[in-house]
Amino acid sequence: MNQGFPIRQILVALLAIPSLFVTFLVYQTGNAYIALALLAVVCLGVFVYLNPSANAFRYLFPGFLGFGIFVILPLVYTIYIGFTKYSSQNLLSFDRALALFRQETFAVEGAATFKYKLYSQDNGKYVVYIEDEKDATKRFASEPFDLQPAEKPKAQQEPIKLNPLPDGQEVEGTPMEMAQINRAKLMSPLKALRFSLPDETIVGLEGLTKFASRQRLWQTDADGKLVNKKDGTVIRPDFRQGFFVNDQGEKVGVGFRTFTGFDNYMRIFTDSRIRGPFFKIFLWTFAFSALSVFLTFSLGMLLSVLLEQPDIRFRRTYRTLFILPYAVPGVLSILILKGLFNQEFGAVNELLRGLFGFAPEWETNPWGARAMVLLVNLWLGYPYMMLICTGMLQSIPSSIYEASAIDGSNQRIDFFHLTLPLVLPAMIPILISSFAFNFNNFNLIFLLTGGGPQMVGGNAGETDLLVTYTFNIAFRDSGTNFGLASAIATLLFILVGFLAWINLRLTRKQVKI
Amino acid sequence: MKRLTPEQKTRIRRVLSHAVLIAMLAFVLVPYIMVVSASFRRGNFAPSSLLPDHVSLEHCKYVLGIPYEEVVNPATGETRIVKAETPPLLWFWNSIKVSSIASIGILLLSGTAAYAFARIHFKFRSLTLSSLLILQMFPMVLALVAIYVILDFMGQYVPGLGLNTQTGLIMVYLGGISGYIWMLKGYFDTIPASMEEAATIDGATQFQTFTQILLPMSLPIFAVVFILSFIAFMSEYPVASIVLQARDKWTLAVGANSFLAEHQKLWGRFAALAVLSGVPITVMFLLCQKFVVSGLTSGGAKE
Repeated sequence: MNQGFPIRQILVALLAIPSLFVTFLVYQTGNAYIALALLAVVCLGVFVYLNPSANAFRYLFPGFLGFGIFVILPLVYTIYIGFTKYSSQNLLSFDRALALFRQETFAVEGAATFKYKLYSQDNGKYVVYIEDEKDATKRFASEPFDLQPAEKPKAQQEPIKLNPLPDGQEVEGTPMEMAQINRAKLMSPLKALRFSLPDETIVGLEGLTKFASRQRLWQTDADGKLVNKKDGTVIRPDFRQGFFVNDQGEKVGVGFRTFTGFDNYMRIFTDSRIRGPFFKIFLWTFAFSALSVFLTFSLGMLLSVLLEQPDIRFRRTYRTLFILPYAVPGVLSILILKGLFNQEFGAVNELLRGLFGFAPEWETNPWGARAMVLLVNLWLGYPYMMLICTGMLQSIPSSIYEASAIDGSNQRIDFFHLTLPLVLPAMIPILISSFAFNFNNFNLIFLLTGGGPQMVGGNAGETDLLVTYTFNIAFRDSGTNFGLASAIATLLFILVGFLAWINLRLTRKQVKI
Repeated sequence: MKRLTPEQKTRIRRVLSHAVLIAMLAFVLVPYIMVVSASFRRGNFAPSSLLPDHVSLEHCKYVLGIPYEEVVNPATGETRIVKAETPPLLWFWNSIKVSSIASIGILLLSGTAAYAFARIHFKFRSLTLSSLLILQMFPMVLALVAIYVILDFMGQYVPGLGLNTQTGLIMVYLGGISGYIWMLKGYFDTIPASMEEAATIDGATQFQTFTQILLPMSLPIFAVVFILSFIAFMSEYPVASIVLQARDKWTLAVGANSFLAEHQKLWGRFAALAVLSGVPITVMFLLCQKFVVSGLTSGGAKE
């Protein structure tokens, strides 16, 4: 194969060099561990494609790479988050939260004061220059930085570094007058900024004309406590709560992410606000999946049996039309049916009102909504079962029916005593995977009812499945709680993964027979 | 009661069958007919009748991005020109683009991996194969926090792969290969390896036997995998809705749902979009029906 021209080596190099470049960029921006992991992956790739003994992995590598990054990595990360306190209140890492405390400053009396000038640069950036009022040789200037007019920069911003300016050297750019600064609406963003001198002193704009040195509000103790220098209060991190607390046990400042072990899992089973809806939703999820499988299978089977009758006409036309709900993209079908089941103006109720003078509350009544969800899922799901059942029916040899006909059987006996016992065992893996699919049928519930109607006294919905309920905890609720959501996600995964495992065992047994 | 002759029984059975089938068909078809009618009806009401009372092309024009005149005030006859800033049909095109590129990627990744699982012996082969399937059961929706973080990180270094890019979304989709690996492996297993062995004796390399012998024989199953994954991606909503933020990058699923937001439900526009984008996909699916059915009976599932 290698006709002297090293195609493979060139290809590997063409892919490896950009990857290494990206790895280097990652390293340069301070993510050393991630860079190391990337480097390991690149090396593994090069090894797999150049070493002749690794030939199976040549075919596996690309697929595993995608699977690793977008399935295994998120999975591991999610399981990890499940063991941490991570929510909208506990969003930052501990180091970032600590840095925020360290950035808080207060003005000291009799502090050093500085004259300042703001220089505008040609590229739209600005440079701050300050000069000690008592000692004109102490001069400092910043690197050019961005300043957004009329906008306060985030309080979390790091102080901007001021570097000493050697004698005789001047700052480049155009100095701005006070009136100019005001007119350009730069005063308030400038006031919110903090600058740090080489000796770590923090300075900031004091009043309108001067810079003054400020003191850090919190001082770190040897044992991790923070001491407030203004009023002497002491706070210490509480890693259970993910907050700094004072001596009275009150939370102070921003929270941080923290490892809390099985706390989230305990909450699911002990916190009544979560336990109540959780078990109710679990039951409904189970019932929904089981009923969906049963209904779709029954209807699919009925249709396939009807269409497999040897003397039925227009079979192909029927079959094509019956597949339609499967052929139309699912999202569109779900939304179409959402419109039809609209409680006030939808076609379903218009029809029922006209025929029976009765209009079910598909949207506001919990049982109405559940019925609608099941009906819609039946409508969406039966074609798949019909296709599968048809395939199975066609594989049953017709001779056994002929034999039973001689014994004086009829069609009902044939179906329940011949067809079903033959088809059902072969269907079990399909039924299980259909159950698992419906267990996590996010699209249907999210798009059709959004989980609604609201459960009384809870922030869950009556038609919520565990997967949509969890999604809402993570992304929709007032206090987005990634930790709790991830813990539930992990439980869900264990459950559905177990189903998949059983399924594997079953199919393997069948293959062996 | 008079006993029925076998001929009469057969006839009754046949008539009953057709009656059941036609009744069922009505349930299946009526929703679609209503959507078609809603797309041609003036106003944005939930679909409720089989035939539109006021036929109008305004929704179709809107979806196609063609400007049209709308009566603002019926009393004075005042009108205004309405034109979509992003023509909604663009979402359909985005979906086609994302789904077909991702499906081709799926073919490449799962095809090569399935070949290794079917033809090459290596350690922990069946364990790996089972783990793939079980790990894939983790619902992607619930790993969105992690996926968000990963894409955000990738975007900092490789601009085209970050959040709010379609390439980023395609990358995420490429993770979902394990079901397809199983399907392809199952098919490869049914093809006897003797031809490949013969070719190896004649001096063909492994890669040559894969691309020149096994692949041409497996084209039907590749068609099945392509169609199934294409359809799955066309309908994927949650990941796309989190990854794609800009309106002009949305996919069909995200855009279609945006018409039905809680406060303002634009059924007419939704219906027009559903018809204009649903029809080509449906026709394509029905044309490939034979492939899909054969693939399903060999064990794939639509998600």
